[in-house]
Amino acid sequence: MVRLIGAKAGEALSAAILNQSDPELVGSGMPAYLLILDGLISQRPQNPALLSAGAQLFALYGSRFATAERAVTLSDKARRYGEKSLCLVHQPACHWRNIDYDQLVTELKGVDVKSIGPLYSYAVGWLANLQATSSDWTAVAELPWVQAVLDRTLELDETYEHGAVHGYLGILNSLRPPALGGEPDIARQHFERAIELSQGRDLSIKVEYARRYARLVFDQELHDRLLNEVLNSPAEAPGFTLFNVLAKQEAQILLTTSKEYF
Amino acid sequence: MLGRRAACFGRWWVGFALAALCAGTATAADIKLASVAPDGSRWIGQMRAGAEEVRMRTGGRVTFKFYPGGVMGNDAQVLRKIRAGQLHGGAFTSGGLAERYSGMSIYGIPLLFHSQEEVDAVRAKIDPLMAAGLDKAGFVSFGFTEGGFANLLSNEPIHSVEEMKRKKVWVPEGDQMSFLAMQTMGLSPVVLPVTDVLTGLQTGLIEITFASPVTALVLQWHTKVKYITVLPLSYSMGIFAIEKSTFSALMPADQQIVREVMGRYLGKLDREARDDNRKALEVLAKSGIQTVTVNSTDVEGWRQTIESLYPKLRTRSDVDVPLLDQLLTVLTDYRRAHPEPAH
Repeated sequence: MVRLIGAKAGEALSAAILNQSDPELVGSGMPAYLLILDGLISQRPQNPALLSAGAQLFALYGSRFATAERAVTLSDKARRYGEKSLCLVHQPACHWRNIDYDQLVTELKGVDVKSIGPLYSYAVGWLANLQATSSDWTAVAELPWVQAVLDRTLELDETYEHGAVHGYLGILNSLRPPALGGEPDIARQHFERAIELSQGRDLSIKVEYARRYARLVFDQELHDRLLNEVLNSPAEAPGFTLFNVLAKQEAQILLTTSKEYF
Repeated sequence: MLGRRAACFGRWWVGFALAALCAGTATAADIKLASVAPDGSRWIGQMRAGAEEVRMRTGGRVTFKFYPGGVMGNDAQVLRKIRAGQLHGGAFTSGGLAERYSGMSIYGIPLLFHSQEEVDAVRAKIDPLMAAGLDKAGFVSFGFTEGGFANLLSNEPIHSVEEMKRKKVWVPEGDQMSFLAMQTMGLSPVVLPVTDVLTGLQTGLIEITFASPVTALVLQWHTKVKYITVLPLSYSMGIFAIEKSTFSALMPADQQIVREVMGRYLGKLDREARDDNRKALEVLAKSGIQTVTVNSTDVEGWRQTIESLYPKLRTRSDVDVPLLDQLLTVLTDYRRAHPEPAH
């Protein structure tokens, strides 16, 4: 799923990162990219595309390559860049911090498909920040808000970023078991659609499907099948290589612990 | 989702214990436990840590297998699976275990406690008696974990019983104690499973619900209500328990290790739960939920109304009356020693 964050982060930057097959190289080299991006944004603070790229790359680096402590700061920047980007293209969004839930759902209807890039970056930056601060009750409280943003993004274009939004919604709907109001069946549908829209090239979707959904509903057969598919697929795919390499590493770990878990 | 560090959102489940899952054949040392808490939650994390310590210290003679996420069903279903030998224990709500031991329900009597301090005073004396009663009923527990006080959640401010009378009030499916309390207060409760409450609030089927701050956030009810009335309506807790015959089959030294280790981890969860509810209440306020405080006259009104429930409780088979009397004695003694400030 992580690959989603890096996408659309500026053509050159994201292509160079996402097509890498060496995560260690990306981890050590990305800070330089982030500094350059910060510099570009400070020169052109009214550029929504640059801010969107900033939101996604800071989210990516914070959630995948930084320590837990640094992730809080980095993802906070990701969230602010996402907010600013959306604010520039959709003025009502400038006042969405601390907005009432029903009000947000109503106002999201006003966002049109032309703003889908900033809207998506806004969601991704926010999600990264919620993950980095997940031990805080505020993160728990804000989940329905960010889910509403993703729901709207999906309404506007479910194919955006090869179905990445379906992947995120699959994860969010897998967080709670049915006894606590969760809806795993909806999660399953999102994961299946995400796989379909990425034509199976995005291996990280299958890893999350196994880790989140299959483990939640205790479906070992599905869990092991998905992970074996990941291990038996090539990592190289334009735009997915970096995260496919990471997905394969994770699939191996999850498979190793399968017997113990189930 | 966003990274290799799987997002746990682990705190959601603290203090919200229920039960659940499937198994196969079991040996005495392979203890199968169910919980509604999902994998990655703090509760499961702590229990797994305890299980690993037990495994190490018993040289692998005692291992635990967890079935998280409610895959084994609700409390009643888990109890049935324990009876069938498919499971050996789990994390239950106090109400869920009342089916096996009626003493478990008494902490949940509405408006029984006036404060957290009263809870502490009572639990120090009554928890061991409750554990002993549970033991007689065939379950060994290693400690109870606080779920906290439920507060009223509504779309209009609620200060008094009178204001509730015009509203549709939720009562959890199977919660006889709350149903009886609502009837005693002259209300018309709407019975729904907990999973239907969010939709019920959305459609107007119910207008008032109740939950601890942590539970309200986990179930996302804060998206559908505007007010929280901070009144200690009813106290809940979770119970981690293992079937006695399974536990007794362990070597005495291993039993001691399990008691010590799991008791220590559960004690930690119990202590953390109160802080979690305090923080969750602050977050609810930050998310736009307005806090309603009840003045002393109205508090007295609530208490007088609910006290007429007590005689009815004494006639019920699902209430351990001798234990309730002991609890009330502890409460009376505490209140005598710690009189509430005059209003």
